[in-house]
Amino acid sequence: MLLTTETMVLNMGPHHPSTHGVLRFILRTDGEVIHLCRPDIGYLHRGLEKIAEQLPYAHFMPYTDRLDYLAAMNCNLGYAITVEQAADIEVPPRAEYIRVLVAELNRIISHLISVGTFAMDIGAVTPFTHTIREREWVNDLFEELCGARLTYNYIRFGGVVFDLPEGFLDRLSHFLDYFEPRLEQYNRFISKNKIFKERLVGVAVISRQQALDYALVGPNLRASGIDWDLRRDEPYSVYGDLEFDVPIGTSEFGVMGDCYTRYWIRIWEMEQSVRILRQCIAKMPEGPYLNKSKRKLKVEPGEIYVRTEAPRGELGFYLISQGGIRPHRLKIRTGSFSAMSIVEELGSGLMVADLVALIASLDVVAPEVDR
Amino acid sequence: MEAQSILERIKNIIGEADLVWVDDQPGDPYLVIPKEKLRRLAINMKGDPHLAFDTLMCLSGVHNMGEQDEMEVVYHLYSLRHRHQFILKVKLDRPAFFPHFYLRVDSVSGIWPAAAWMEREVYDMFGIHFVGHDDFRRLLLPPDWEGHPLQKDYQEPDAYRGIATTREEIEGVLAEESG
Repeated sequence: MLLTTETMVLNMGPHHPSTHGVLRFILRTDGEVIHLCRPDIGYLHRGLEKIAEQLPYAHFMPYTDRLDYLAAMNCNLGYAITVEQAADIEVPPRAEYIRVLVAELNRIISHLISVGTFAMDIGAVTPFTHTIREREWVNDLFEELCGARLTYNYIRFGGVVFDLPEGFLDRLSHFLDYFEPRLEQYNRFISKNKIFKERLVGVAVISRQQALDYALVGPNLRASGIDWDLRRDEPYSVYGDLEFDVPIGTSEFGVMGDCYTRYWIRIWEMEQSVRILRQCIAKMPEGPYLNKSKRKLKVEPGEIYVRTEAPRGELGFYLISQGGIRPHRLKIRTGSFSAMSIVEELGSGLMVADLVALIASLDVVAPEVDR
Repeated sequence: MEAQSILERIKNIIGEADLVWVDDQPGDPYLVIPKEKLRRLAINMKGDPHLAFDTLMCLSGVHNMGEQDEMEVVYHLYSLRHRHQFILKVKLDRPAFFPHFYLRVDSVSGIWPAAAWMEREVYDMFGIHFVGHDDFRRLLLPPDWEGHPLQKDYQEPDAYRGIATTREEIEGVLAEESG
């Protein structure tokens, strides 16, 4: 007897626990297998690029916090560097080190959330409570630094808004001493967990070519075996003076570029961030933390494209100025956007449950996709 | 490869006519090419082993309403193999009548698949059509949204499907309700 099956259209989201914000997928499924996957984005579109055109340069800084609220410092930093390069503003060395310090700290907590929610999305709820506990500590540190726990608005053109409070570096190294062994513990109970591994190895493999074609960036690109990190290859700020390794995906655990490799890259990057942070603490110079020379900011006509390495990969700001106090155009290119665009291609052929793993492993954050 | 030698190679591919090289500005230099040459150049820039631009970093639209009403599509290209970059620009006139006939440019989504979504976003925000795109729709805004918000002369509608979009409108509704 011939068995016939029917396809069904399934609407996943916009409010789904695994979509990390408000995302919607229209799936055509045959049983558990996805035949067609269509991401529908834009639910968190706030028109940041239009807002940027209507505000003076400095006033847009708080909006960059909202660009990616899990890595607000990195977004602040990217925007600040762009405008500084366009307007020729110098940054004192102490400010550069403070910036790298907060950026790496923010990378750690962003990856913590990524790792925790990844485990939660595929059914292990406990790891999230562990990672969020560590994140809480860093949030306290940031609160001490700038008064905010999530949207910091801390970096200014020419430096940072407040100097490090007294004893901050000691408290930070205390945290690092606590955190480094914790990573080993995560590996024991999540990364090397047999169920977790069986669930993810070989799932949703992104080949080298696909990663290039879809312009994937950051950890997702490196997981596919491409050795590229802006911090090392096009150093900005003081990354050139710091020593760190760039973790690259290997086929050690199964297949290069699968969900499991993407998970590991983030664990390894946290280790490297700890290394960078320790160097920042050791090298922190004395001196001014803000260059106050240019209070009224005007940018000469011209255009500039600056990219920095945020936790979700390359964060590019394309700034066009026609003179004056406002940008003519500010285009924001984010890592999650390109990560999201590959889902359409990779989604078909996956199981519905594996789609959840794929989105979690790409570490997509909806506000960064929609802007 | 330096930008200058990339430029020389490009001249070999599409000829020198109508190319405008802009290098007297603070950022990186860019090349303005006529839109008819875009597709041919894009294929060669990816395929030529000496250029090998394998990644499209960024694709943006720009609207200028200075002396001339024109739109630009800007392609930031990067080659991971050779670690060099190049910026291409295409300029489109936007006449007052039937602008959508003129705001048309070839899609490069077949060459760099990353362009598929970026082009949809540019269409959504600027109303530029990309010819030869597989799945050409709005990306961020709802399909029945009117206008393209990043155009400089965009007028925000007062309401979308009966939902007020401006604050005055909302306050008016609240005042009516309270009564």
